[in-house]
Amino acid sequence: MPYRGPLSTATLITCVYAILAAGVPYAARGDWNVGAEASVMHDNNVGNAESYSDIVSDTIVGATLSVFQLFPIGEGYSLTVGANLNGEHYNLLTGLSNATAGASVALKKKWGLGAFAPWARAEFSVAHSDYNDDYRNASIYRGSLAAGRRIDERWNLWAEYSYERRNAASQPEEVPGISGDAFSESSNNLSLHVEYSVYTNTYLNVAAIFRHGDFVSTQEEGSYQILNSARAIAEDPAFGEEDYAYRLTGTTIGFKAGVNYSTTAHSLIGFDFRRFDTRAYGGNDYTKSIVEITADYAF
Amino acid sequence: MNKLTLAAIGIALLLDAGAAYAAQLHAAVKDQRGKPVADAVVLAVPVDPKAAAHARSPADAVDQVDKQFLPYVKAVYVGSKVRFPNKDNIRHQVYSFSPPKQFELPLYAGSEAAPVLFDKPGVVVLGCNIHDWMVGYIYVSETPFFATTDAAGAATLEDLPPGEYLVRVWHPGMEQAEQSLVKRLTVGADDAAKVDWQLAVKPSLRVPRVSGAANPGYP
Repeated sequence: MPYRGPLSTATLITCVYAILAAGVPYAARGDWNVGAEASVMHDNNVGNAESYSDIVSDTIVGATLSVFQLFPIGEGYSLTVGANLNGEHYNLLTGLSNATAGASVALKKKWGLGAFAPWARAEFSVAHSDYNDDYRNASIYRGSLAAGRRIDERWNLWAEYSYERRNAASQPEEVPGISGDAFSESSNNLSLHVEYSVYTNTYLNVAAIFRHGDFVSTQEEGSYQILNSARAIAEDPAFGEEDYAYRLTGTTIGFKAGVNYSTTAHSLIGFDFRRFDTRAYGGNDYTKSIVEITADYAF
Repeated sequence: MNKLTLAAIGIALLLDAGAAYAAQLHAAVKDQRGKPVADAVVLAVPVDPKAAAHARSPADAVDQVDKQFLPYVKAVYVGSKVRFPNKDNIRHQVYSFSPPKQFELPLYAGSEAAPVLFDKPGVVVLGCNIHDWMVGYIYVSETPFFATTDAAGAATLEDLPPGEYLVRVWHPGMEQAEQSLVKRLTVGADDAAKVDWQLAVKPSLRVPRVSGAANPGYP
């Protein structure tokens, strides 16, 4: 059985949400901005596996609460300081259920006044994820640069580059000479986004997504090929007693297409589909599709 | 003649003078599907400019409530000073690029911002530089006789001096040219004239207020 920590994910989520919920009335009145999101997502290949027998799909229910404050700091510049809490519950792979608490700081420059002025934004965030199966616990560091421009009321374009680093505890070596630090990874990410207003409250969005870096693929005892290309290997009992996580390096090309509908001035429901094709160095190519329904509320 | 009698005569004279300007104009505005159009400005421009000679430009206000301009459309008489009270607990930065009035109110809270003089007729589009979805309109009217339609698409112009008018309507989403909708109308004392329009109104596209976690454009 996987080791479970003394503080369950559910307990952690409940405690932190209770603290934040108590602060919401103050936050909503004050200079702070508060937002919440609920989501249901289906991932058809949670473990990033290549072969059919290793592929596991699951449905994930999530909730996010975010709080941020905007500080205008001069001609066209603003600084945003924020915090967020996120919880994910996996229906089948319960060991992957997790709670994440994070904080971020962002500097934004807007060239001109108004909704159609071009902008650029640099952001740094740090977060900690606590999983039901503790060996996946990780600290996440992310730096990003984004820039965009709303062309008119219909068209909105932006692009984002980010570097992300996950630091997890190293696990015991399973294969002599190969690291057990399978859940630490770093990646470079680039995404290009287009948003289009179809009607008064309905928006389409599409994005092209590129990723290069580490990823974790979980499968039963691997082939010579994957053993040869894996940079780290560790047991991954969240998927099963015989499963191992392999840290590989590869390039992902993906896209996202979605539709959002503003139900009120404060709320938004969304549906999106994402598809990713990953080619790993030394083999183990995989595909993944995600369907997600979201409901957002901004106070 | 005692003071009471003098006062009664004075009141009667005032009422009589008011009666001479008691004409009303009831306007109804519908869209292409027959639904009422709110926030349309109905204007009556007297053909004889003397009819508006004594009109004054009162102070007016456009509020900011729940990160929205309130009202969405505000009609004011040319020469009016408009205040922009911020009733939110966050700061706003109101601006306009519109030719009749270009201005910017640097970030402020409460009622700190100085009133803005609207001295040229035309449409002034308002925005907030912090909250991109905030859009409002000030219609600067060259005539003191105007009103804005309510949710039922109805507006009443009060106290019109008898005479001939060019009556027209404007709405932020209307597809027709404003001048193509002018109607000539004569109102007499104590009249309650009626006028109606059917506008082709396009859906108002607005910058989304809630964009989810994916869009880093705001804040």
